Amino acid sequence: MLDELKELWKFRELLLSMVQREIRIRYKNSALGFLWSFITPLATTLVMTLVFGVLLNNKVQSFSAYFLAAYLPFMFFQFSVLDSAQSVLIALPLVKKIYFPREILPLATIISNFIHLLMGFVVFFGYLLVIYIRNPRDVPFQAGTIYLPLLLIISFMMSTGVGLLVSALNTFYEDVKYVMTVFLYLLFYLCPIIYFIEQVANFRLVQQNELLFKLYNLNPLAPLCTAYRQTLLAPQPIYMSSGELAAAKPLQWGWVAYVGVFSFLIMVYGYHVFNKMKWRFVERP
Amino acid sequence: MSEPSIIVRNLRKEFVITNTAIGSIKTLLLWWRRRSVVRLEVLKGLNFEVQQGECVAVIGRNGAGKSTLLSLLAKIYKPTSGTVQVNGRLAPLLELGAGFHPDLSGAENVFFNGVVLGLTREEIRKRLPYIVEFSELHDHIYAPIRTYSSGMLARLGFAIAVHVDATVLLVDEVLAVGDFEFERKCYAKIEEFRKNGGTILLVSHQIETVKNIADRCIWIQHGEIKMTGTPDEVLPMYTSKSEADL
Repeated sequence: MLDELKELWKFRELLLSMVQREIRIRYKNSALGFLWSFITPLATTLVMTLVFGVLLNNKVQSFSAYFLAAYLPFMFFQFSVLDSAQSVLIALPLVKKIYFPREILPLATIISNFIHLLMGFVVFFGYLLVIYIRNPRDVPFQAGTIYLPLLLIISFMMSTGVGLLVSALNTFYEDVKYVMTVFLYLLFYLCPIIYFIEQVANFRLVQQNELLFKLYNLNPLAPLCTAYRQTLLAPQPIYMSSGELAAAKPLQWGWVAYVGVFSFLIMVYGYHVFNKMKWRFVERP
Repeated sequence: MSEPSIIVRNLRKEFVITNTAIGSIKTLLLWWRRRSVVRLEVLKGLNFEVQQGECVAVIGRNGAGKSTLLSLLAKIYKPTSGTVQVNGRLAPLLELGAGFHPDLSGAENVFFNGVVLGLTREEIRKRLPYIVEFSELHDHIYAPIRTYSSGMLARLGFAIAVHVDATVLLVDEVLAVGDFEFERKCYAKIEEFRKNGGTILLVSHQIETVKNIADRCIWIQHGEIKMTGTPDEVLPMYTSKSEADL
């Protein structure tokens, strides 16, 4: 694996150009260009806020901020995985003609998606600023924001691992992409994005059986989304559907450590599998 | 004497061909038992060296394994066994314009292709004027590639490949593009490349081309080297054998 990394380092210029090309192509033929990377999450946030914040009235202060904080990292994972699934197949004509480390293809899509994630957080903090200007009494910015880089690194490792794995498999079995689409759709509801971790923890069934909460958090994206929320935004008591008020849960570093270790391992494993399969891409039946 | 530019030792390449293509999990599961696997041995142990500054032509009938050999040299395939060693910077001219993206401009594609071939962007920036001049594209270089004609694409591809300062050039039947004038320019450039000590490995079916530029010929038949020698020795044998086969 060390040799493969050295080879990748030799081709870092190519990786950089691929990322640039990826970003450039995506918006080359659209009138609004780069604005689209803001519009999509904003539109989703608007809809979700209308449905859950206004219609269902979950009594959460500035629900859109809490939604965005968890949705942005989820969206990054989703698009990294789906885009990298296709990355090798799309570039197959190039792969058949010229040598370069094949992992550059999924890595470039993941990195360009990562750039979009960073842009998304710019919008997020812009939104917090708007809240602050409208109501200067409570400062929405949290000290926990300093942990954002750590969480971003964990997100990146997780997306890279799964992305490499999926892109290698999808090159041979094109069903993988469809399986992932369904899987990610379900995963969205298994992560605390449109609801809160407090609602899960204080659910009666979960309270009776501590194991269920652990099981819920085994999905590494769930504690990760929670961690984004808890570091970036103020803790807030949440109303349960029964009408009781659930106290805000503090950030649990144990789960963050679990996600960190998991992400690192999946990255190493994904890269290992990709390297084993990459020589057969050109001989694909 | 300096070390050879290309060293090939006991090179074997085998392809596994399944008649039911495993394009999906469904076929994988359904045909796991019944799939018939055919092993196709394309190269059966090649041994040769190409010295620095030499121009070697690989000839042979269709399906003899010539293109597979070039792909192995370009590191696109991994050998089944044996080794391939290339000393120096290699520029494969396997298919012109393989890595072009239609929506990007010519200049942007020059940068991209140059980086794929191992240059830094700074180096490409310096070379861009020469590439534009050689390809005769002028202001078209800033238009998207999809607006180019096939001749323009071929010219741009060749211009990039000869400007990356490669020391080893792999050429696969690509010189028969563009008009006569451009073809002559390509040959002039190849001649210049050789004068500067560059090594060329070329695959061609055009006997005339081989006779004109090759120092040595390697005749491959059914994945094995049938004969090596100067074009004057090999070509008559090759043409008479081919005629006899017909």
